[in-house]
Amino acid sequence: MEIEVISDKLSRALSNVSRIAAGKVTLPVLNNVLIKVKDKKVSLITTNLDMAIIDFLPVSSSKDGVITLPAKLLTEFISNLPKSTQVKVSSKDTKVTVVADKYSSTINGSLADDFPELPEIDEKSAVAFSMDVEEFKNGINQVIIASSNDFNRPALTGVHFYTNDKSLYIVATDGYRVAKKKMVDNVKSEIKVTIPANTLQEVLRSINDEMDEIEISFNEDLVRFRLGEIEIISKLIDAEYPNIDSLIPKTSEINIIAERDELLRIAKLASLFARHGANDAITCETKTPDTFSIHAIANEFGENDSIINTKVDNEGKITITSKYFIDALSVVDSEKIHIAFSTGIDKNTNISAPMVIKKQNSDDYVYILMPLDS
Amino acid sequence: MYNVWENTLAEIEQKISSGNFSTWFQDTSLLSTEGGHIVIGVKNSFFIKQLRSKFLDVITEALKNNGVEIKDIDFEIQTKSKSKVRPHEITEPTKLKERLSTVKSTLKSTKSFTTGLNSKYTLDNFVVGSNNDLAVAAARNIIDNPGTNYNPFFLYGGSGLGKTHLVQAIGNEILKKHPNLKVFYTPVSDFYADFVDSVLKKKGKDFNNKFRSIDVLIIDDFQLIVNKEKSQEEFFNIFNNLHQLDKQIIVTSDRLPSQIKSVDERLANRLTWAGAFDLQLPKFEDKCAILRSKADLIGAEIEDEAIEYIAENINTNIRDLEGELSTILLMSDVRGLTPLQLINNGSVKVSHVDKLRPTSPKRIVDRVAKYYQLSTAELKSKSRVANIKNARQVAMYLLQEELSLSTTKIATEVGVKDHSTVMHGIKKIQNDLKLNFVLRDQIASIKESIYE
Repeated sequence: MEIEVISDKLSRALSNVSRIAAGKVTLPVLNNVLIKVKDKKVSLITTNLDMAIIDFLPVSSSKDGVITLPAKLLTEFISNLPKSTQVKVSSKDTKVTVVADKYSSTINGSLADDFPELPEIDEKSAVAFSMDVEEFKNGINQVIIASSNDFNRPALTGVHFYTNDKSLYIVATDGYRVAKKKMVDNVKSEIKVTIPANTLQEVLRSINDEMDEIEISFNEDLVRFRLGEIEIISKLIDAEYPNIDSLIPKTSEINIIAERDELLRIAKLASLFARHGANDAITCETKTPDTFSIHAIANEFGENDSIINTKVDNEGKITITSKYFIDALSVVDSEKIHIAFSTGIDKNTNISAPMVIKKQNSDDYVYILMPLDS
Repeated sequence: MYNVWENTLAEIEQKISSGNFSTWFQDTSLLSTEGGHIVIGVKNSFFIKQLRSKFLDVITEALKNNGVEIKDIDFEIQTKSKSKVRPHEITEPTKLKERLSTVKSTLKSTKSFTTGLNSKYTLDNFVVGSNNDLAVAAARNIIDNPGTNYNPFFLYGGSGLGKTHLVQAIGNEILKKHPNLKVFYTPVSDFYADFVDSVLKKKGKDFNNKFRSIDVLIIDDFQLIVNKEKSQEEFFNIFNNLHQLDKQIIVTSDRLPSQIKSVDERLANRLTWAGAFDLQLPKFEDKCAILRSKADLIGAEIEDEAIEYIAENINTNIRDLEGELSTILLMSDVRGLTPLQLINNGSVKVSHVDKLRPTSPKRIVDRVAKYYQLSTAELKSKSRVANIKNARQVAMYLLQEELSLSTTKIATEVGVKDHSTVMHGIKKIQNDLKLNFVLRDQIASIKESIYE
């Protein structure tokens, strides 16, 4: 195996793939990156057995062969080389020589036999669609904040992709809040899968400015993302996803529209106090005709009251977790925010009526937040 | 079928490297062998690909050696592959969540089931203060969503601080909100007695079934399980069963499980899985609030000054606080004077020192030194080494706390020059106690050894 390539390119490819190659002690080869050269095509591959990242690296010259190398060591060595140097990586048995200008090292690799073969998506039976990378990134960022990291409820550790009436929606929840976003209109096939949040985090990290389209394919138990030279394959979460749509209230008693920045400011002020109290709780209250206030109290330190003047239709109050409120405000892509809530029990769902946060005049993104009892 | 796979795995383990074995075969299971069509359950598609391409021969051979007839081998993804083949889990009772949803449709309570709860304990008459607000917040969460966030709910604190009240209140409120859930409250001593009884009458199964059908299990005074190994084992089993089904478990104790002698380490760990909540001694304001609400409950009149007087002088626990209040109210009833008049004319004397068993300064200093593995001479020395200094300050604190000695007297007892050093030391420990749980536990166990 032999490749010749510019150091920057190799470094970037390695840093794309090497993030997930760490931490497995039972099978040491999983800490390695597999370098595979076949018919002038070079691919760098890593896997943690939940997902795999593949980077197709364009090189100036190559000789066929496969080898695996400690991912961390190689990545750090290459990234410390001066920019735009020609690097030559060549293997003889398991000894790998890396030469760049005046710098050279020999790294002990291992044969590729132990490296797991990756599952593949059958192109014929797979459901595939592509979308703008920026839109994808925004959508995932807006929803992923609500996913859970409690592995006792596996379904909630993922983001659920599903189609409803020809549109593709994504949704995540940790049981206390729900974030839902409409992603694509006019989807032809039915989709109903849950993708691990960890995988999506990796996809987000792999996105760079040069990419403009992302291609996503699913089959029964796999998903594949294609982003320029990078391909990410991951398992899907095999667990029933709860029905979220029934939780979203159709109407609320109290509705206000406010500037996002202003809301974010008073929410952050209140959270300084809320984080010392029980449950990180803040209380939002409306008074007609035009007062929306947030109140937070910390037994030991004191309390905070902030007001925004905006048109208010009904009076009421609701106690919520400040972190969840701020999370939502930080990701909504709109200057004006629509906040809606009711006091007491929602008649349709029989649970305490949640707070709804969305863009003004748009239902594309909906974030709902369960109230705390106070 | 399960055993066949166990044997097969044992054979495969011999043939391949241990890293490969533990990575690829750990969570596998044999789902079916019907008619020679072998189906093996695995974690995800990465495993299917690898097992099929690299280990098919090994698997085939090992299965053949175990007498399995093979036509073809297929793989299937199982999120929790092992659980599907264990026989007793096939008939698992419904999960708590499902019960909650079915409950709504049948809003009739099952009266026949005795809960062991006393309905006089409610959250409304539980006074919330900075000493217990965290525990109460968690309790409210449990009432709304039993079996989710704080499970198990482990509550600890000294006697008379309201543990029983709080957990019984949780039970009562859950019953109010979700009338079809089975809530069961039992002090650990009754649990033990029940268990012994069931063994004597050979009705172990009934005992087990009784507990396994419960949705919310409340065990009070868990520390009393000391030295009852069989009961502990039984409790451990019941605990695991209920926890797996997301049933709410609530346990109280006067200390952390790791500090209870002879409690199995695994059990101790599990009990504090979802965190341990403590009830602390109420602060002055909290004590006033407790006394006020108690007086209002009885409907007695008492001056604010009288309440402050009692609050200031009782530093042990809430039970004593309420006891003292009752005494004063009774006296004022009998003598026809208001509580404040009684206090002012000296008919009532409240002093917390009376409440404790007698001890001596020497004993306190000895025990502190012993606890920190120092000699008494070292503790009394002029050394400024951190651990010795800390022990010395703890001794000062305890001398003041337990015997109310003057700072000058304390100075001579621990061998420091002047009273200002003592004041500083006591203050430091008082401050540390607010945040340092380790120190709090240390001091609690030193106290225990003092009054042994």
